[in-house]
Amino acid sequence: MTTSLSSILFKGIAARSFTAPLTRSCYHGMRYFATVSNDPDTHDDFKPANKLENSNISLADVIEQDVKDNPVMIYMKGVPDFPQCGFSSLAVRVLQQYDVPLSARNILEDPELKNAVKAFSNWPTFPQVFIKGEFIGGSDIVLNMHQTGDLKEKLKDITSKQ
Amino acid sequence: MSSRGATAVLSRASRIRSKLQTALEATVLEVDDVSYQHAGHAAVKGSSDKETHFNLNIVSPKFEGQSLVKRHRLIYDLLADELQSGLHALSIVAKTPHETNPSK
Repeated sequence: MTTSLSSILFKGIAARSFTAPLTRSCYHGMRYFATVSNDPDTHDDFKPANKLENSNISLADVIEQDVKDNPVMIYMKGVPDFPQCGFSSLAVRVLQQYDVPLSARNILEDPELKNAVKAFSNWPTFPQVFIKGEFIGGSDIVLNMHQTGDLKEKLKDITSKQ
Repeated sequence: MSSRGATAVLSRASRIRSKLQTALEATVLEVDDVSYQHAGHAAVKGSSDKETHFNLNIVSPKFEGQSLVKRHRLIYDLLADELQSGLHALSIVAKTPHETNPSK
């Protein structure tokens, strides 16, 4: 556990320094949006769109649908492959230790989404992690749960669909 | 730091410490400014305020019976003004006295 944890922390630091000079254009076109469920009642407006602004559904509804449809949902700075914040990077790397599908939205791309997520969870910072619709917390709490085994317990019935 | 004490406006670290100590009656309160570690952080580029990142280590009986999320949310609520005026991120360790001395 200690070795694994040190590795996680080291990778987090490495990732941060690696991404420090990254410009926005590096990941232009690589967008992570929540996948839409097979629920026949899903409204057309929840289907993937290039910009959230095109939807006439409120952002609060988008977020509610996100966390409902995706067993592990993270609102972060950057995207899982290119985190732009050490805290977001840490949370992603911890979650990637488990074989579960990770869905993400980049709150740096949309200030309105950022504010809507803060209001939705009543939590002022990022990343924010939701598991099976429940707000879990930020990177401190995700890491703590990983260390105590709570995270494994919470994720045990979520399997990778790959 | 002593020169800062001479100014009329308290540093953010002092304000944070004061707010938390008053509300939580902490037996341990460590407020570490680690803003220098995030100097290149994209999200804070251009920020004129230098005190953006802090590590907090707090031991307080007020956390008894509270989940981690509730403890962190309590701390964020106490520092809401700071978060709206330039404070960017907090790393939080929040424990009860019992949790730091399990044998008691």
